[in-house]
Amino acid sequence: MTIPEDFKTRLKIAKKKLKKQINSDDVKKGSFMGGAFKIGTELVAAVAVGTIIGFILDSWFDTKPWLIIIFFFLGTAAGILNVIRTANRMQKEE
Amino acid sequence: MQQFNVHKIGPEIKIAGVDLSFTNSSLFMVISASVILLFLFLGTREKKIVPDKIQLIAEMFYTFVAKMISDTAGSKAKPYFPFIFSLFMFVLFCNMVGMLPYSFTVTSHIIVTLIMALFIFIAVTIIGFVKHGFKYLNIFVPSGVPVVLLPLITVIEIISYLSRPVSLSVRLFANMMAGHTMLKVFGGFVISLGLLGGWLPLGFSVALTGLEILVAFLQAYVFAILTCIYLNDALNLHH
Repeated sequence: MTIPEDFKTRLKIAKKKLKKQINSDDVKKGSFMGGAFKIGTELVAAVAVGTIIGFILDSWFDTKPWLIIIFFFLGTAAGILNVIRTANRMQKEE
Repeated sequence: MQQFNVHKIGPEIKIAGVDLSFTNSSLFMVISASVILLFLFLGTREKKIVPDKIQLIAEMFYTFVAKMISDTAGSKAKPYFPFIFSLFMFVLFCNMVGMLPYSFTVTSHIIVTLIMALFIFIAVTIIGFVKHGFKYLNIFVPSGVPVVLLPLITVIEIISYLSRPVSLSVRLFANMMAGHTMLKVFGGFVISLGLLGGWLPLGFSVALTGLEILVAFLQAYVFAILTCIYLNDALNLHH
């Protein structure tokens, strides 16, 4: 492919314009909202999964209601762990 | 609500007792996939040096996903680009097609998002075991933990790992469903308040439609980026 001469100059001008824009704009604004949506479900999902595991194990071993209580708290811990990890990751991205 | 109803289109198909009939949900999946194919076909038909609008948009999607993968999962994840690109495009177009009036939002049903999330979860687990063998189990055992706490931490890590497909699928499903329900509620207010008071909820509806388009894009992005992050955990083991 041969690049015509006038195209080269147009490209140069366009690149210059783009450089100015990149310095001033804030592209990452949208990703903050994504992060906010992310963290809530992260916590709830782990609590739900923990409780369901506890419920299943309870009906297996016939130990109602002890395992569901224990696994509820373990699930909460896992949820908090998830949230901390997500927050760390988001801080690293910035 | 009527817009979330799934109904059969055409004859009932049953194979080995499983209902495999073509529904409006499948129809809109086909529509989304065809729109993607058409769009990418038109975008890559003429490879010009100075791209026209549709080629520019297609290239933007490509670089967007490519950059997302290299930023979050590194160069090792390059072979998985086609999968993540198709996943992102499919979720995005399902969400966007769902924004059209009288259409059906495929991603507002948890079974659809859960199947996608479970597929990713199982695939990532298999990739992890293939790349690292039984060493992959080390992600459940963080380093620097006292031996006394190890059983507890391991159980918590396993729950945290198992919660991945749940949070991935629930997030997409809940956002899409809540958004569409909200639009419906405000639309209902417009009717019930009539010509006098209906203008305020109408304004809200317009604003919410804009917000919903943002959410549709954002959720597709979050879905794809989390896939990249899970893939990164499986490819680059460093716990």
